[in-house]
Amino acid sequence: MEILFFAAIVAYFAATMLQSVGAMMDRNKLTRAARAIFIAGFALHTAFTAWRGFAAGRLPLANQFEFASGFSWSAAIMGIVLYARLKQNWVMTVSMPVAFLVLSYAAFQPMEIKELMPALRSTWFALHIGSATFSYASFAIAGGLGARYLAMLKKGHADSETAMKQTDYMTYRLICLGFLLLTVVILSGAIWAEQAWSRWWSWDPKETWALITWILYAIYLHQRMRMKWQGKRMAWFAVIAVVCVLFTFAGVNKLLPGLHSYAV
Amino acid sequence: MKKVLSFLRSMKFGMILLVLVIACSFAGSMIVQQRDAMEYVRRYGEDAAQLILALGLDDVFSAPYFIVLMAALCLNLILCSIVRLPRTMRAKKALISRAETAKTDTPLDEGQAGKLCAFFEKRHYSRYKAGDRIIYFKNSIGFYGSFITHFSFLLILLVGAAAVMTADVRDQTVMPGETLELEGGISIRVDSFQIVDETGLLDYASTLTVSDDIGKTVTREIRVNEPLSFEGYKIYQQTYGTAGAVRIKNLETGVSEDMKLTEACFLTLDGVSGMFYQALYPGYVTDSDGSVTLITSTSGAYTDPVYDIVSVSGGAMTPVLAFPDETLTIGNVSFTMLDPVSYPGLRIKHMNPLVLGLLYATFVLMVAGLYLCFFAAPLAVAADDDGYVILSPKTQTGLMIELEALLKEE
Ligand code: HEM
Repeated sequence: MEILFFAAIVAYFAATMLQSVGAMMDRNKLTRAARAIFIAGFALHTAFTAWRGFAAGRLPLANQFEFASGFSWSAAIMGIVLYARLKQNWVMTVSMPVAFLVLSYAAFQPMEIKELMPALRSTWFALHIGSATFSYASFAIAGGLGARYLAMLKKGHADSETAMKQTDYMTYRLICLGFLLLTVVILSGAIWAEQAWSRWWSWDPKETWALITWILYAIYLHQRMRMKWQGKRMAWFAVIAVVCVLFTFAGVNKLLPGLHSYAV
Repeated sequence: MKKVLSFLRSMKFGMILLVLVIACSFAGSMIVQQRDAMEYVRRYGEDAAQLILALGLDDVFSAPYFIVLMAALCLNLILCSIVRLPRTMRAKKALISRAETAKTDTPLDEGQAGKLCAFFEKRHYSRYKAGDRIIYFKNSIGFYGSFITHFSFLLILLVGAAAVMTADVRDQTVMPGETLELEGGISIRVDSFQIVDETGLLDYASTLTVSDDIGKTVTREIRVNEPLSFEGYKIYQQTYGTAGAVRIKNLETGVSEDMKLTEACFLTLDGVSGMFYQALYPGYVTDSDGSVTLITSTSGAYTDPVYDIVSVSGGAMTPVLAFPDETLTIGNVSFTMLDPVSYPGLRIKHMNPLVLGLLYATFVLMVAGLYLCFFAAPLAVAADDDGYVILSPKTQTGLMIELEALLKEE
């Protein structure tokens, strides 16, 4: 069944390439093909995830491989839903590489199915980790949109002021969504930790970095409001903040072991 | 004074404080916390260790400056919330009166007003007429979003601190079969304790019977994620240990007694000869050359327990490795090693249920506040025969683009 997983990576890769070329050359046929391949890849990815859930007899989000796969899956579905709503090609140009890169990272993680650790057997598991995958995916796509904004600025896309405004606005909206979900992650994590270890908060490195990420995005939201910062500065902010998200997602597990180290 | 106050309640000060919280959290996650001084010297070298200790970076989150920082954040949030609530009320009224008078900024062609009306009706906007213009209005509750968010953040900090400070926490090891009496007439009996080894994943569970002095009794198994709640107490399966056990028999009188061995001790009747208990090992492996190596890791089940003891008799000391059921006779006393006993370390927490309820309510409040901020921003659109204008305290690029597209449609 791992074949489904690798087929999904290949599909995401092909879609990303076609989409980039299609978007660069303004070829609708190519981007349409890219979307079809991406959706096919997403179907494979979903089938793989469902199979893994059945095989393991639990939600497949229990270790770094499964979590990364969930992160990529969330990015893919968010891209598809956003495209369906906005009908804007650039949504795909950004979500496809996010889904592809995160799934490729997953491919380098140990893949074997393991029994769920007793500490993870909780009703809070689904809410805590499920929101985390969607939160990270929102931030990652927002970072991608920030990068797109900067690229447009460099190219001097004067022809599409609306597109730039829309990109800037979507970056902000995705950060709002990611922030709300990250709040759910942190609060449900606190309730869970109290059930499991009797303490809501232990300043464990993963918790601390989730808090750092949360505050960083709170600063983003305030700066946008207080200084009326928009456009270039906020795009840079969104891009740089993704580094913090990625560190919270993967770096902490590898470099700063703590209570969450089972997620390695 | 006025200037100081307005700085203390400003968003600028708030942001400075948030950056400082990030800086402290960064330091606290990168530098190992709460170790002794030598550990810092070993890890980071003497100079860096001195700096870390001098700046309190070895325990950032309990350092006075971190507490002051959190207090300043609370003060800032209190001040800005107090100022903001009346402003929020005024803003709500102002938005409506602005909608009645504001100049339209996007022209409408003939027939497009109907399209606009249909669009807003589909989206469940409320609608009223003010003179010759129609005002579409939505989400007035959204005005309170950021107030609720900030207020709930403040409450989380305050109620969280109260919850931690008012909780009475104690750790206690209890042997299976023993009962622990708590104040208020509550007793906790450990009926049994077991370690379940699921291919390397260890699950520890205790079966407890908890009762109070008026006859209410609960029997339940506790394990990680499944503490037992009873009359304000929460009992957690926190840790575990394994103790040796020995039956000591006086061969002259025939009297015998079983004892648990939790630490090294000398068991003797006459004070001279007897058994010195050193340690208990969970198992052993026999190498290819027949030599035996003891397993020293004490996590997990004791599959082949081995007692490390010393027989002390007539001034001679003989080290012995003994298995359960083996008997050692020293003088007039026999020592029969028994199967080891695993026992739980319970954490017993007593908390005021009101504080706990309040804390969880603040969590819900924060999520609700953020939802209102982001997904229920107040919005008014004023339209007359010539054009329309969008009014909202938040940027409404999404709606703006949507309306443009709608009106462009044939
Ligand atoms: C980590 C703590 C904080 C969080 C999570 C937070 C969250 C938020 C959110 C979500 C918004 C709405 C932003 C938007 O809709 O784009 C907001 C607005 C605002 N925040 Fe904070 N905030 C925090 C701390 C502070 C502090 C310390 C201040 C200091 C005064 C502050 C002052 C404000 C102000 C004045 C607004 C604008 C409110 C309005 O006009 O509706 N915030 N905050």
